[in-house]
Amino acid sequence: MVDIIVVGAGIAGLTASIKAGDNGANVSLISPDYSERSQSVMAMGGINAALNTKRENDSTDQHFTDTLNGGCKINNEKAVEMLTSDAPQIIDWLERIGTSFSRDANGNVDMRNFGGQKKKRTVYAGSRTGKQIVSALVSSCRKRETEGKIKRFVGYRFLSLIFTDENECCGINCIHEDTQELRSFIGDAVIIATGGYNSLFGKILGSTQNDGFATAKLFTQGVRLANLEMVQYHPTTVKTPQKRMLITEAARGEGGKLFVMKDGKPWYFMKDFYPELADLMPRDVVSRSIFKVSDGGKKDVYLDLTHLDEYTVKVKLDEVYEICDKYLNLDPLKTPIPIFPAVHYFMGGIQTDENHKTNIKGLYAAGECSCQYHGANRLGGNSLLGAVHGGWISAENAVLEKPKGNVINSIDEELESFKSYAPKDKSLQDTLSEISQIMNDSMGIYRNEGDLMAALDRLDNLDINVNAKYYDYLKVKLLVILSKASILSALERKESRGAHQRTDYPESDDRYKKSICAMYDDGEIVIT
Amino acid sequence: MKVKIKIDDDYQIFDYDGDLNISVITLLEKLDIPIEYSCSCLQGICGACAMVINSEPKLACKTFLNEERMVIEYNQITIEPLSKFPLVKDLKVDRSILFDAMTECELWLENDSEYNPKDLDFEYEMSLCLMCGCCTEVCPNYKLGDFVGAPAAVSASKLVNQESDEEHLKNMKKKYKKRFFSHCVKSISCEDVCPMEIPTQRAISKMNRKSVWRIWQLMNLD
Repeated sequence: MVDIIVVGAGIAGLTASIKAGDNGANVSLISPDYSERSQSVMAMGGINAALNTKRENDSTDQHFTDTLNGGCKINNEKAVEMLTSDAPQIIDWLERIGTSFSRDANGNVDMRNFGGQKKKRTVYAGSRTGKQIVSALVSSCRKRETEGKIKRFVGYRFLSLIFTDENECCGINCIHEDTQELRSFIGDAVIIATGGYNSLFGKILGSTQNDGFATAKLFTQGVRLANLEMVQYHPTTVKTPQKRMLITEAARGEGGKLFVMKDGKPWYFMKDFYPELADLMPRDVVSRSIFKVSDGGKKDVYLDLTHLDEYTVKVKLDEVYEICDKYLNLDPLKTPIPIFPAVHYFMGGIQTDENHKTNIKGLYAAGECSCQYHGANRLGGNSLLGAVHGGWISAENAVLEKPKGNVINSIDEELESFKSYAPKDKSLQDTLSEISQIMNDSMGIYRNEGDLMAALDRLDNLDINVNAKYYDYLKVKLLVILSKASILSALERKESRGAHQRTDYPESDDRYKKSICAMYDDGEIVIT
Repeated sequence: MKVKIKIDDDYQIFDYDGDLNISVITLLEKLDIPIEYSCSCLQGICGACAMVINSEPKLACKTFLNEERMVIEYNQITIEPLSKFPLVKDLKVDRSILFDAMTECELWLENDSEYNPKDLDFEYEMSLCLMCGCCTEVCPNYKLGDFVGAPAAVSASKLVNQESDEEHLKNMKKKYKKRFFSHCVKSISCEDVCPMEIPTQRAISKMNRKSVWRIWQLMNLD
């Protein structure tokens, strides 16, 4: 029997565990907290699949083409082909395990419009699609836990990969957040499903728990990363006293329109800029348009839902209504919502092939941490799809692994490192804020060589000797490395494509119609 | 403003003079003291940051200082960890027993989910449970023991709609009767504090009809 280790219990990790369990594996599912706390529950708008039940003559081929066009053609085509052709089967499976998707008048799962797609293709559950999917997956996982196929280990944070003497990945070292216990998990293959590297940009839209530790550590252990410069700015986010929060693209899919005041009147600029798709252009385009009409954020831009009916806003966009009501004290049926773009999603990350294999044998990645589907810009509705698909495909392949070499036990090294670490004086929060400030200053919607070089210099001179627990102490060092790799990737791509816009190279250049890869070799970051 | 935080059975008092249009979680950040608590989404959808605020269980990220009566009238706020679960440290508790109870009550589907158009909205609402523990905090009957608390009833009320495997349905109902019905005195305080406003009363009465009151089953009314 094969032993699979899954790291992360969001939608990708849950799906990987269920599918590996169903393919005969013993699964250890390791996560810092329960699935209900994962970032997956925050996904609102929906999940794409060309079900073609809306008489719009949709097809998986069109979904494929839209995804590639949205990603400006640097997506992994084979992976996108599998993603889009498997999508209807994924919706069918999610329905069967009990996801309460919204339905249309014919009883079919309903679909709405989303950006970068002309057809109604985004299946949804109110505007809490992620939460509904997690709820169904958790029940499904629970059944397999009782059957002994999946064993959950909650409270553990990933520390490092374990290899065999033939450089195959065969396990992980972890630390328990509360007890500080160090522990190894050894198996036949490892699936990483740890989400995006939010902490590089500070308190962004997603979960505080998706800190990028695992991606950064993997990088230092020889795992190839790709397209780190591709950071998605979601066009419609709101400023609350807490943090910036997302207003789902579904709000525009249901008819919401962006405007800015011009000559004393609202100017619905997207229709003028892009008559065909208007407010439903891909996210990178909408974010740039908002940046332009607001003169770089100097003028207020609004999302107008006031012309929509009450059912649409309060039921189909329930989470939007709640955020406006609770955090902005604003009724979106009466008042337009002030919005501005903010960091939302990382298209880049651990480079994987269409089978979700990394460059290390036995190591897989799925969900937001892995990079293959989305290219230079992800279409709304493709992240939930990618998470389920990635979990599914990685599990099917991981169960076939059997390492040949002997395990090199590295827990002693971890123990040694743990014992010898000595926290220093500097505030952890201040240091994390400094990192995120550097990244926000240099890796905005528009970048240029001067800012990027200055950011590298600031990172080089950053004092990272923090006063923190072992995990956070290591994290700060790792985040600096990952930040540098992201900036070097942005410097390397001397063109503008999708989410990566260089004011000094404003045109796209076919020489860069490829992934920019990063490797860590003997303490040096190598970009190719 | 006086901020009273329960740490290791003692109340420590801190002063805060800043903006009141912030949530309790932001207040904890601003105090900049080494205090442990759980948080993840910071927007009321993950349930991690449930704690007792001015004697009521609430999500710290959704509770604003300027909406708290104790802050408005008495210029003070009291923050305590949930009291029904083992304390990990400061404001962080171990809620694993809530999750274990879901497994013990066999809350999953054996067969493919059935689709009942009239129940869809109900099932959607029942799937919103955050497993935060606010409901168990106010429940007069919940203490660590046999009683599983409202989250199990909420989840069960959805799954019995969707399940078609007769044997498993029977087991789920049996577990409900033993682990929920025989302990709950129907105070329904759970519904008052649920941060997702889940109608727990509907969930409980549905489960009671389906699991306990045989007349409903004999008449096939539900």
